[in-house]
Amino acid sequence: MAHPQLRTEMSSDAALIAAWQTGDEQAAAELVERHARPLARFLAASGAPDSDVDDLVQETFVRAFRSVDRFRGQCQFRTWLLTIGGNVLKDFGRRAARRKVVPLDETVRDATGDPLEHAEASEVQALLTMGLTRLPRLQREVFLLRAQQGLEYEEIASALATTPGAARVHYHHAVKRLKEIVGGT
Amino acid sequence: MNDENRLEHLAKQLGVAAAERLDVRATARAVVERLREAPAPHATWMQPAWLRIAAAVVALVGGGVLVNRLIPARGPAVGTHGAHFVADDLRDLSADELRDVLTSFDEIITTDSVVSPDSAGDLHQLDAQQLREVLRSLEG
Repeated sequence: MAHPQLRTEMSSDAALIAAWQTGDEQAAAELVERHARPLARFLAASGAPDSDVDDLVQETFVRAFRSVDRFRGQCQFRTWLLTIGGNVLKDFGRRAARRKVVPLDETVRDATGDPLEHAEASEVQALLTMGLTRLPRLQREVFLLRAQQGLEYEEIASALATTPGAARVHYHHAVKRLKEIVGGT
Repeated sequence: MNDENRLEHLAKQLGVAAAERLDVRATARAVVERLREAPAPHATWMQPAWLRIAAAVVALVGGGVLVNRLIPARGPAVGTHGAHFVADDLRDLSADELRDVLTSFDEIITTDSVVSPDSAGDLHQLDAQQLREVLRSLEG
């Protein structure tokens, strides 16, 4: 096992995962620091309320580390993590719906965030966020994994247990729908 | 910039503020703390691979039982004697051995209802083929 202080930025995700599996907590912490921000972007773009992004990121990592034995390297660790984030967000939406709160709708998203952020958010971005929340989950995730995270269709397909061709179709459906929503601006 | 590129550009901006606000070190500490406090529950359910094997065994045994019931068992069946003659099984016996068999038949069968040579003494004049025919006639 690598000594935590000797570990460098070059340690691969696979090495850190292996270290975590032997009980190295520092390896888990390093994986969180490495992937937390892209995960937060993905969750926020998927409709997570700003005030809940931190909790959702934590929950996603906890689930991922507890089930890391099921990660077979079929895709990158980050891609696998993002799909778990999608599941966490879905569960969060269900719980919120039972509490009669609709968290995935821009109209009821947290308005207590940084006023500057709200000022900077363009109308188009707001429309895009709203449009994404209206897409079917698979289309939304394929779109974000491709457009926001810059992944190839093969990688997306591996993570979502589909084919590259199907992922491409989902992406184009999403783009078509989002163009209709955003295109008028 | 076409519409698709514009969408991709906009998508890259989404969630940037939320990500910037995230204190990744604090998040990492919180995650490790949660993992430490509540370790993963021990899996009590069978692994999917074992479930598949168990299902295959059940299907195999069930199928075997079903086939066994649908297809009649093979073996000696009562009333299906057909054209099988004991005399055919005596093909390898010599004429003397066949006479011994017929002599023992004579001792068992005392009725005149079966087709038989005029007397046991005549058996000595029959060759092996004729003896087999006699045995076959005794079998009916």
